[in-house]
Amino acid sequence: MADPPPYPGAPRWVKISGIIAIILVLLVIAALFTGVGGPHGPGRHMPSSSVSEPSMQQP
Amino acid sequence: MIMTPGLRKIALTVHVASSVGSLGAVAGFLALAVAGLTSKDLQIVHAAYPAMELTAWFVIVPLVLASLLTGIVQSLGTPWGLFRHYWVLAKLLLNILVTIVLLLQLELIGYLADVSPETILSSADLRGLRMSPVIHATGGLLVLLVPVALSLYKPRGLTRYGWRKQHEGPTAPQR
Repeated sequence: MADPPPYPGAPRWVKISGIIAIILVLLVIAALFTGVGGPHGPGRHMPSSSVSEPSMQQP
Repeated sequence: MIMTPGLRKIALTVHVASSVGSLGAVAGFLALAVAGLTSKDLQIVHAAYPAMELTAWFVIVPLVLASLLTGIVQSLGTPWGLFRHYWVLAKLLLNILVTIVLLLQLELIGYLADVSPETILSSADLRGLRMSPVIHATGGLLVLLVPVALSLYKPRGLTRYGWRKQHEGPTAPQR
């Protein structure tokens, strides 16, 4: 049985999409670390001192 | 395992319905998120966040999970395979990404639904949290459009695994 032809590599659309995906991932990571994207993580929904809970709200 | 043509049609119908349905559901969610963020009307804010929570839990999550599962079944049950073509692999990765981000957002959506509308409107701190569903739904909508486009265009390109399988097994599926 003849050997299969060599793999021609990924097509151009895959390479371009991959580069765009990497850039987007880096932008998201940068946004998370610089705080531009707001707080993330388990504690982000905890209200700060300036936010009152419904039961504590002033009329 | 290759599905019979009848079973394949049923699986494809469920997959297309759930995929396009999730796109529409996220669009509806985005409309509610924008209304919740921009409206000064107490009644609209009061209605928007609980409606978003219900939509997320009972429409978007089931549709996204159904889309992911039926996509896997559809690819494994046809000659396309799951890892043979780049466009199928790209769809899988995007669907997994959307599912993870969606599940991470549920906590925030639930929190906003529980806070009173007066607090939401008066608190500057909550504005950032109210922006989050708008940003994530917009991103999700754009990301969900890509698998739909990939399914229609089916751009050529075999992975290394697909290339090997094609040259050792039966012929590639008809486009």
